Amino acid sequence: MRKRLGILFWIAVLWIVLVVFLAIFRDSLPIADPVARLARSGECERFERPSWSRWFGCDNAGRDIFARSVEGARPALVLGVVVTGIAGTIGTLVGVISGYIRGLFDTVMTTIVDISLAFPALVLLIAVSVAFEPSLRVFVIVFSILGIPGYARIVRGATFALAEREFVDASESMGATRARIVRRELLPNVALPVLSFAFIGFALVIIAEGGLAFLNLSLDGITWGKEISEGRHFIVDHPHVSLIPSTVMFLTILAFNLVGDGLRSLVAPREVATARRLHIEGTPEPRSEGDDAVLRIVDLSTKLHTPGGLVEPVDQVSLSLAPGEALGIVGESGSGKTMILRSIVGAFPLADVTRAGTVEVDGVDMLRSADTVSRRTLGTNIGMVSQNPLTALNPVRRVGDQVIEPMIVHGDLSRADARERALELLQQVGIPAAERCLREYPHQLSGGMRQRVTIAIALANEPKLLLADEPTSALDVTVQDQILRLLDGLRRERGMGMVLVTHDLAVVKGFTDNVAIVYAGQVVEYGPTAEIFANPQHRYTVALMNSMPDLNLPSHSELTTIEGAPPSLIDPPSGCRFAERCPAVQDKCRTDDPVRAGTDVHSYSCWFPMSEHPVEVS
Amino acid sequence: MAFLRRLGRLVLVVFVVTFFTFYILDRIPGDPAERLAGVSATPEGIEELREELGLSGSLPERYGSWVGDIVRGDLGDSLIYDGISAWDRIRGALPKTLETLVLAELMAFGLAVPLAIRSAQRPGGLVDRWSSATAFGLLALPSFVLGIYLMFLFAVILGWFPVLSKDLPGFTDDPVGNLKGYFLPSLTLALNLLAVYVRLLRTDLIETLQQDYVMLAQARGLSTRRVMWRHVLRPSSLNTVTAAGLNVGGLIGGAFIVEVLFAYQGMGRVFIESIIGKDYFVVASMVTIIAVGYVMINFLVDILYSVLDPRIRRLSA
Repeated sequence: MRKRLGILFWIAVLWIVLVVFLAIFRDSLPIADPVARLARSGECERFERPSWSRWFGCDNAGRDIFARSVEGARPALVLGVVVTGIAGTIGTLVGVISGYIRGLFDTVMTTIVDISLAFPALVLLIAVSVAFEPSLRVFVIVFSILGIPGYARIVRGATFALAEREFVDASESMGATRARIVRRELLPNVALPVLSFAFIGFALVIIAEGGLAFLNLSLDGITWGKEISEGRHFIVDHPHVSLIPSTVMFLTILAFNLVGDGLRSLVAPREVATARRLHIEGTPEPRSEGDDAVLRIVDLSTKLHTPGGLVEPVDQVSLSLAPGEALGIVGESGSGKTMILRSIVGAFPLADVTRAGTVEVDGVDMLRSADTVSRRTLGTNIGMVSQNPLTALNPVRRVGDQVIEPMIVHGDLSRADARERALELLQQVGIPAAERCLREYPHQLSGGMRQRVTIAIALANEPKLLLADEPTSALDVTVQDQILRLLDGLRRERGMGMVLVTHDLAVVKGFTDNVAIVYAGQVVEYGPTAEIFANPQHRYTVALMNSMPDLNLPSHSELTTIEGAPPSLIDPPSGCRFAERCPAVQDKCRTDDPVRAGTDVHSYSCWFPMSEHPVEVS
Repeated sequence: MAFLRRLGRLVLVVFVVTFFTFYILDRIPGDPAERLAGVSATPEGIEELREELGLSGSLPERYGSWVGDIVRGDLGDSLIYDGISAWDRIRGALPKTLETLVLAELMAFGLAVPLAIRSAQRPGGLVDRWSSATAFGLLALPSFVLGIYLMFLFAVILGWFPVLSKDLPGFTDDPVGNLKGYFLPSLTLALNLLAVYVRLLRTDLIETLQQDYVMLAQARGLSTRRVMWRHVLRPSSLNTVTAAGLNVGGLIGGAFIVEVLFAYQGMGRVFIESIIGKDYFVVASMVTIIAVGYVMINFLVDILYSVLDPRIRRLSA
């Protein structure tokens, strides 16, 4: 516990204890009289500087500033304790009821809280303290009323979340009364958030009182705010008179905030900050003579350094794509197939990523080239279409701006020319009212239309390579085929290479020349599509094919599913990664990593491929 | 329709706030008519003066007649200064406070946006850790303490700015002198706002950075700067803009304090002076102006919302 809260937390606790101790036991400690004018008796000069014998020095009337700072802590602490107690209790009750019972009470409560949190509190405080003689009682009442909404809001939020949880449900179904649930289940669970906010609320009370005291509208007697207010007149020649009480006040508020923040981190752990970093390892594999591949991937490995551990979603992947060709990448969700595409373009969510191996697009090394070079290739030679058209377009920018942008940035077109071309593109991807579409926002378009727009953006600079990440899986079945045919047509028309990532073998069969089967981050079988469908070698490929609906069979024939789930990519097992789910698994499979076999055209990584062991080995 | 409902709410807020002000003022001990009439005045004389000033009758009556005057464009007269209207008192103070507030918001946003962007690009990096630590510290600094610190550092030690900001030249006469004078009070307010803005904006930027469309923008070979400013900033700004609107209340309170600290005659000092002197119509007029201003600003924030996020436009239409 001590370690998790950190050293600052304990220093803050120590400071609060010190301030409270001095304020309570002031009279029995050897502290000067805070109101005595020591200049008269010659004990201290006016504006005496801090020294060993008089720690904080003296003020304009020769009064001991240390004694006054201790004295000033008293009203701040008393007010803080009483107000926090009252506002905290009432606010918690209101919040729990509002969050648990909900209904009309909740509606009224939230409205009141919203209005009161928005109101300029200081203006109200000024008015009230002038209207009523400022006394401790008046302050307690007003500060408490102002404090309640803050607590109510926090507790309501926490209760809301708790009420959804199982143990509250369970107690309800066991017939516990509402009052009992509130008392036994909810209150103990909101205690820590309330306590953490109480420290911050305490600080807010000190700030508010200080503000009033600064304006000379606060309690009689010595308060920190008043000391600062009086001391500020001497800031030029005797800054210590105002700077010392200011700093005492600042440190006290800071201490309360630190403790509140520390307690909150026990309830809701602080976010683990993951820096976005891209590392590159290894050396590039030189390209062989006469290789004109538009995409060349050799032994690509991608590691993500996540708070949960090191994940390797792409493991020693090698692929190649000739100009104008279509390559399918097939696998279950979580197999790392999307990560292969992301590793090509180098765009990852917040994470610390290391890539090793070679990725070349049209001869440009995408891992090691200068930033401007790889960006240029990204902009002009690669187009990308992502899985979900609903999240692929920026919701706050017009469609037109988004289509035009890559052409202006990379294609060096004028705005008018780019707009002209954007119209053409939208027409080519089959958007009927292209002119109007340019002026619209993404949310005004249907999913299919949005996917057409992302395709148009991908095509904007006539790329040689189109990366399509499950371009149809989020669309209606009726639209899926249209989009696939569109992509296929565009590819043939323009001679683009296309990588089509999908989990659907039927799509692969109809639209690709080659296919790579991916399992747990590795390519397990790779070759011409027709060949693999006719003659699958890896057991996983076979299993995938068996789970594919066959329209030639009667509709009631059973589909086989693959039992089990793919292994975790954090620390994957040794041996063949499919071993656990393989119907033909042997002891060797569990211990030895399979070696790539087959020919240059059709390769697979399996110890017991179909051609050699056609029946299930047991 | 939505506009009318908003207008209705504005009128309601102003009505409640001003009536409450009248009620509070009524409770403050002392009778302005008696004071104005002087020691030698007869009871009849005082009564006559009271009638003349619009101070006779019950609370609702007085409030009613004041509202009637307001509608005719007359805010009433000062009860402390002879021959000076409430509007005269406000006219001098309002621009000073407004300038402080506008400068504070400009500085706060000018610093918060680049800082939050840098922090979000490298969470846990140097800029991020320093800016969150600073923001945490700033949240523990009440404006009068922060103001004292800034005054000491920039005016007393460095001497870059005047210690006090009274009798400043107008902006049109001497822009440099004018801005120099308002710099420290505005900075005091700005730093408090900055802490709030940086925290909110950073969190929302990090969230937006995980979105598909940002990944795709990067994959289109756009520069990091372009992605941040053109693609990420706007969809991440809604919470910060809301906070800016809601914080106006606290900001006005802060402005009152820095006016006292830096000793210039803005709305805050006039307000406190008037409320202590029971200067009915000045106080009520100021409260009206503040309330209208507050509601208007949040109205503008609502409009800004739909500019920032077109999806909201459809909902409110």
